Amino acid sequence: METNKSKIDQLSPDLFQQRKAGEDEAEKIERPSLNFWQDAWIRLRKSKGAIVGIIITAIIMFFAIFGPSMNDHKFSDQNIRHAKLPPKIEALSGISWLPFDGKDADGFDVYESRQVEVNYWFGTDDLGRDLWTRTWSGTRISLYIGILAAIIDFIIGISYGGISAYYGGRVDDVMQRIIEILVGIPNLIVVILFILIFEPGIFSITMAMVITGWTGMARIVRGQVLQLKNQEFVLASRTLGASSNRLIFKHLLPNVMGPVIITTMFTVPAAIYTEAFLSFIGLGIAPPRASLGSLVNDGYRSIQSFPYMMFVPSVVISLIILSFNLMADGLRDALDPKMRK
Amino acid sequence: MVRYTIQRLVYMIITLLIIATATFFLMKLLPGSPLTNQERLSPEQQQIILDKYGLNDPLPVQYVKYMTGLAQGDLGLSFQYDNRPVTQIIGDRIGPSALLGFQAMVLGAILGILVGIIAAIKHNTWLDYGSTILAVLGISIPSFVFAALLQYYVGVKLEWLPVALWGEYKHTILPTLALTVGVVATIARFMRTEMLEILNSDYILLAKAKGISKVGTVVKHAVRNAMIPIVTILGPMTVAVMTGSLVVERIFAVPGLGEQFVLSINTNDYTVIMGITLFFSVLFIAVIFLVDILYGIIDPRIRLAGGKK
Amino acid sequence: MSKRILEVNNLHVSFNTHGGEVKAVRGVDFHLDKGETLAIVGESGSGKSVTTKALMRLIPNPPGFIKGGEIHFEGKDLAKLPEKQMEKIRGKDISMIFQDPMTSLNPTMTIGKQIMEPLVKHQNMNKNDARKRAIELLKLVGLPSPETRFKQYPHQFSGGQRQRVVIAIALACNPKILIADEPTTALDVTIQAQILELMKDLQTKIETSIIFITHDLGVVANVADRVAVMYGGQIVESGTVDEIFYDPRHPYTWGLIGSMPTTDTEGEAELVAIPGTPPDLLNPPKGDAFALRSEYAMKIDFEQEPPYYKVSDTHFVKSWLMHPSAPQVEPPEAVKVRHRKMPSNYAEPVLVEGVRA
Repeated sequence: METNKSKIDQLSPDLFQQRKAGEDEAEKIERPSLNFWQDAWIRLRKSKGAIVGIIITAIIMFFAIFGPSMNDHKFSDQNIRHAKLPPKIEALSGISWLPFDGKDADGFDVYESRQVEVNYWFGTDDLGRDLWTRTWSGTRISLYIGILAAIIDFIIGISYGGISAYYGGRVDDVMQRIIEILVGIPNLIVVILFILIFEPGIFSITMAMVITGWTGMARIVRGQVLQLKNQEFVLASRTLGASSNRLIFKHLLPNVMGPVIITTMFTVPAAIYTEAFLSFIGLGIAPPRASLGSLVNDGYRSIQSFPYMMFVPSVVISLIILSFNLMADGLRDALDPKMRK
Repeated sequence: MVRYTIQRLVYMIITLLIIATATFFLMKLLPGSPLTNQERLSPEQQQIILDKYGLNDPLPVQYVKYMTGLAQGDLGLSFQYDNRPVTQIIGDRIGPSALLGFQAMVLGAILGILVGIIAAIKHNTWLDYGSTILAVLGISIPSFVFAALLQYYVGVKLEWLPVALWGEYKHTILPTLALTVGVVATIARFMRTEMLEILNSDYILLAKAKGISKVGTVVKHAVRNAMIPIVTILGPMTVAVMTGSLVVERIFAVPGLGEQFVLSINTNDYTVIMGITLFFSVLFIAVIFLVDILYGIIDPRIRLAGGKK
Repeated sequence: MSKRILEVNNLHVSFNTHGGEVKAVRGVDFHLDKGETLAIVGESGSGKSVTTKALMRLIPNPPGFIKGGEIHFEGKDLAKLPEKQMEKIRGKDISMIFQDPMTSLNPTMTIGKQIMEPLVKHQNMNKNDARKRAIELLKLVGLPSPETRFKQYPHQFSGGQRQRVVIAIALACNPKILIADEPTTALDVTIQAQILELMKDLQTKIETSIIFITHDLGVVANVADRVAVMYGGQIVESGTVDEIFYDPRHPYTWGLIGSMPTTDTEGEAELVAIPGTPPDLLNPPKGDAFALRSEYAMKIDFEQEPPYYKVSDTHFVKSWLMHPSAPQVEPPEAVKVRHRKMPSNYAEPVLVEGVRA
């Protein structure tokens, strides 16, 4: 310490007047107080992955909603004369490494040779249907199935898990045995059997996934509630005479929400994947409707000569699954109380 | 431990019974019969065929016959392949699938564990970020997309490996890779999380305080403890590989179970669908059972406590 | 004066967090003599744990790092020693006991193996010798039937037994310094006493010096020779046990003593809590860190950091109250009751310049 003795000894006596810090000064909290969700939001914003995920999802949602009406082609309009045209976007056609110049795999300008005036942004399929419109209406269906499945899982899972854990005892025992047996059944098998019996369609595919899908959510909710049920703040509230409803809605549910939201976020991509998978083995949405999976399946048949037919929907479906995974990862990190600083 | 094992076994058998029953009755609900795909047959001929499959019996009789057949390992006859027992079809097809599945699991587990360990040790460095990004891509790209891309670039464009052939060992490379990606990514993510948690634990601090080197603490203390929970995801991983095999085998024309399954779905060959369904279920349940037991064996906390906590 | 074994000068430790640099330890000086027990006392977040982890270079990096200062041990500066050489010191010359015995043992490794590890590493023992020594150690820390215990896993031990095992590990190589980071906090009161007894007992047997971290002054009185009181990442007062208990000078120490229940607390005497919360070390307050919570604060406390004053050869206080111009203040009742005159005190507190305690 540089301060020398004489300097310290000669400090003005005035400085040694007593001065108590005011109540507010002593209790002043240096950092703003945040509730759980504000804090989680701040941490979520710091996660680059989650931000990328949110942006990709927003873009894809935008095109899923407005994409199909951005040009004049309907998703089922066939035009054999315009079949198998590669993608062409005027503004991007100058960039050689992008596949939007209207040339086929051999660098041959198909639009010029066939004298096609209109540009198909994502090209056309073997029946001359516009892939731009089909891709985005397929995205709609895929997203719809994914989100619907997640919502139904959410509702069943929360009720089942919540009831099982809250009532405990015999009820819990029986309900858990049922789950244990359901979990033992490989779910893809159930899904396939279900769809074989009911015609493939949006509803049957969603239901098929829900039949086994909710067990994961129910287990998580049950685990969380059991853990919370015996924690001091719940006991305290119960001691103070809170009603069952109040306990469930004010204390248990808000604290269970974190893991539940994360699980839901992971359910969406899983359902989208399963739907695409079913379409790919021929059990998906029936034509003329198309989901991303059935588009990939259609495109795969001509992958050797017209790879774009498969690439476009493949990229979109991979991006959807990726963005939901990124958001779910980010949320998990943001909601994990252990990470709170 | 013994009591726990027996309890698990009982559950396993109940589950199997339920699956078998459910498949049986679901199949009865299905439209179509062995007659659907046959050429026009006289009523007498139809009668002969229905007799052959036992379809003239009342439902309960059919059920009992089916279940007793199952108990003896008889899965019935295929609707499509004249007179061929389903068990024989499965037997013929199991080889390639087992080979691919085994290779994918082993390769995936080894790579995944290594990547997970490296990412955790190099936490918050470009190695960690890089492998994290690759892993999230790996779990996001559907296996059939990845398989098709592999086929297109390695097979069609570069012509390094055949597009879709089966026979030589090198033909297993692409399908194995396609199946492995998801396994590597899942295990790597899991391993990384486990390792990070363990590396921040008190006992690692104590190991360091003993003077054990960084490598020593990782190898002797962290990895072993992180591997134990990894065992639990072997079950889901098996399912993922089984699921993946349905599409991957189709893409690479592998004469395996998955390819047969998809084929049977498209030709309404119900007995084969049922047979393969049951076979997959048994496999899955057996893996889950083994994992549970294995977990108990390698984790002293469970092994010595006499049951799962 | 006995032989100095460890000397810490102006140690600074910081952590990089989202919010900025948290200065957890802000210029700490202390020393440790051979065979003595130094207690570091303070509330949670005062930097006592971080200080000792820094001694062993066990601060997780990133985010933590030793920002400056020296740690002299046997002619080496531990703050700058390469990691490889540091490994040879950890567990051999300096070892550590942690707060929570439930989590500080590897759950999937036998107790025996965990005790053998440092023996094999530092004393080049072969498996057989290490085994013998480990069983000896288990006996030493008072675990019955050590041969069977040797082969068991941590979950087969109770909390107190596990802490005994951790102590056995720490003492395996007869360390010169043993750092005990709140070793009894997580244990039942009865077990606490046993563990403290054991530590005192073992200290005389193997002649080690102990740094004992605690927030429990009652424990300090039992085990320590000297006490350092930490607040806000700094040592605010240090001295012999008698000096701290019977003639404390810093208002924070007064607060600690006032809030400590003892058997001779009269029925009337109330326990007094220290108001407020510890300072946020992300933005340490200007001047005296304790001023905000102190009844005895003066204007200068909010402007300048106080220097150290010497009350005796061994008693140091970092407070402006020691300044000749400061008003005479009355310590709280709890402190006055136990006050004793220290024969070795100087007539007046002396300002310490340059190197501090």
